Amino acid sequence: MKVLIVEDESKTGQYLQQGLTEAGYTVDLSPDGVEGLHLALTEPFDLMLLDVMLPGMDGWQVLETLRRNGRDMPILLLTAKDQVEDRVRGLDLGADDYLIKPFAFSELLARVRTLLRRGRAEPEPTTLRVADLELDRLGHRATRAGERIDLTAKEFALLELFMRRKGEVLPRSLIASQVWDMNFDSDTNVVEVAVRRLRRKVDEPFERRLIRTVRGMGYVMEDEPEA
Amino acid sequence: MKLALSLTARLTLLFVLLSSSVLIGLGWLLNAAVERHFIEMDRSLLEGKVEVLERLLASPPDAQELQALDEAVLDMFRSDPKLKVFVRTDGGSTILAPPDLSFPDQAINRKQVEQADVLFAWSEGDSRYRGLATTMQTALSDLTPFLVVVAINIDHHERFMERYGRTLSVFIPVAAFLSGLLGWWASRRGLSPLRLLQQRAASVTASQLDCRLPEESVPRELRGLAHELNCMLVRLEEAFRRLSNFSSDLAHEMRTPVSNLLTQTQVALSRSRTQHEYQETLASSAEELDRLSRMIADMLFLAQADNGLSLPSIQEIRLHDEIADLLEFYDALAEEEGVRLQASGQASVRGNRLMLRRAFSNLLSNAIRHAGEGGEVRITIAEQSKTVSLIVENTGDPIPPSELPMIFDRFYRAEAARPRHGSTTGGLGLGLAITRAIIHAHDGEIAADSLGRRTRFHVTLPRSAAASAP
Repeated sequence: MKVLIVEDESKTGQYLQQGLTEAGYTVDLSPDGVEGLHLALTEPFDLMLLDVMLPGMDGWQVLETLRRNGRDMPILLLTAKDQVEDRVRGLDLGADDYLIKPFAFSELLARVRTLLRRGRAEPEPTTLRVADLELDRLGHRATRAGERIDLTAKEFALLELFMRRKGEVLPRSLIASQVWDMNFDSDTNVVEVAVRRLRRKVDEPFERRLIRTVRGMGYVMEDEPEA
Repeated sequence: MKLALSLTARLTLLFVLLSSSVLIGLGWLLNAAVERHFIEMDRSLLEGKVEVLERLLASPPDAQELQALDEAVLDMFRSDPKLKVFVRTDGGSTILAPPDLSFPDQAINRKQVEQADVLFAWSEGDSRYRGLATTMQTALSDLTPFLVVVAINIDHHERFMERYGRTLSVFIPVAAFLSGLLGWWASRRGLSPLRLLQQRAASVTASQLDCRLPEESVPRELRGLAHELNCMLVRLEEAFRRLSNFSSDLAHEMRTPVSNLLTQTQVALSRSRTQHEYQETLASSAEELDRLSRMIADMLFLAQADNGLSLPSIQEIRLHDEIADLLEFYDALAEEEGVRLQASGQASVRGNRLMLRRAFSNLLSNAIRHAGEGGEVRITIAEQSKTVSLIVENTGDPIPPSELPMIFDRFYRAEAARPRHGSTTGGLGLGLAITRAIIHAHDGEIAADSLGRRTRFHVTLPRSAAASAP
């Protein structure tokens, strides 16, 4: 998966590049709009991270030119301004998502994965499996090692989210937004409590822990034994 | 190009125009009146003469006395050189004519005088005359009737009018100039309060926004202006105060986490550590930074709200559904804290779903936090005729009355809530401020009261027009 980052702030750019490279992507970094546009027009990329405030040619222009030239890879806009008009403008011009600085890297990574997955549009299996944990999406049943686990509707949704995005660190804000539709910085204690309760049912009675806390970032479901 | 004349110049010009047009009009009126007066004077004089002539002509019985009549008439007119007389018979033979004056033809070549009272004027040489023609019956049987024309030299009137005209032509410009001068002086004096306002306004600076314009010492007409300007200053001062409070709040609130981060990082760097220790340090930094980042986002939201929040995508919102979603969200947390959640009532409002959800979420999170173990949070939705009210009530220690007015302020934290240096928005002390900003943006009101062991937040929103709960 090739990702292009167009970002003029060098430290931000480098950290993003490092982070995404370590997450398994091939990353090109361009410090200005003109070069970024040239790269995006001449080389194939699966996703583009585009800063709005750029020297030479701003993100809006880059975005518009790319879309006019038939480049349809997902584009995620990064901006320091949180204006509703800006958000609308970005989406109108053909951006796929929008992140406001400062953002958490885990949040960015989660969005990048969502966008890349959307592009592939592979049918999701009806039964999700992580280690000996099984989730039947149609029958609304979760079992671990053959034992039925009793879950509330929201606990089920939370577990489903974890299993669908196995191996990804999910920030609390993303969990709140996906499971409860709380699309703002809500009381994240709630997420902690919900994850704790889910663990009590899914993890604690068993030997292997599947849901792991990544301090400062969020939670991840993994079936590798902890290091 | 539009000429921008000063107010003083405009007023002066107006004065000059006004006074000269008034004077010219008055001069013209006087001129006409004097002229009329002169004509009347001439008429009565000429009519007097005509009467005398009529009597003279009526008395002589025969032609022998015609000569004597001539003499008598001539004597009478000779005494005044200005008076001239012309007498002619009906047949056309002139009986009497002044040697030095010819009468206009249309005055003497006519048989009958139709209107005996019409005066006419004409010029002869350098002089001007005014005359009156009449027909008279006489005692001289064969000569009847006579056409008599009497005239008077009116040069003295003409000279008077000429002098009058000259006087006016000097007087009017002088008077106009003087009134212009007066107007200039008066408008300068009249506008001096404006200059006072200007001086005072010039002394207003960012650090001296408490300076006010003198409302009492300016004329009544300017009092409104001064008052409005003062009101503007009050608003500016308030906005400016908010802005500077905002900056100092922000600096103050950021200092602690930034200093923690700095210390922690420097301590970590001071000697080499295990990988686990580094991870711990970085994770702790990430948590602190996350807090900072959310604080910045919240502060920006509030800063936008101070400048008037725009509400995109307004829609019909069923409050009971929103609250049900929020209760579901907070359910687990409340259970862990040992707090019971209850909701009742239903109503709809129009608004931005995300923002209202955020506002109510803050209220609920705040209520759960303060309810404490074994406590209760009750949400009551009710419809009034024009408004919808939503009350979030929690048990728990009351808020002291002295602190009630401050709870919606930025960074206000109840002392009890402070030690929880947690990861919640409420813990930042911005939650209630954000809630209030959102409610205000929806034209609503929010108030809090605290009695006994109950604290209530009362939100009032305009009732949606289409709303009538099913």
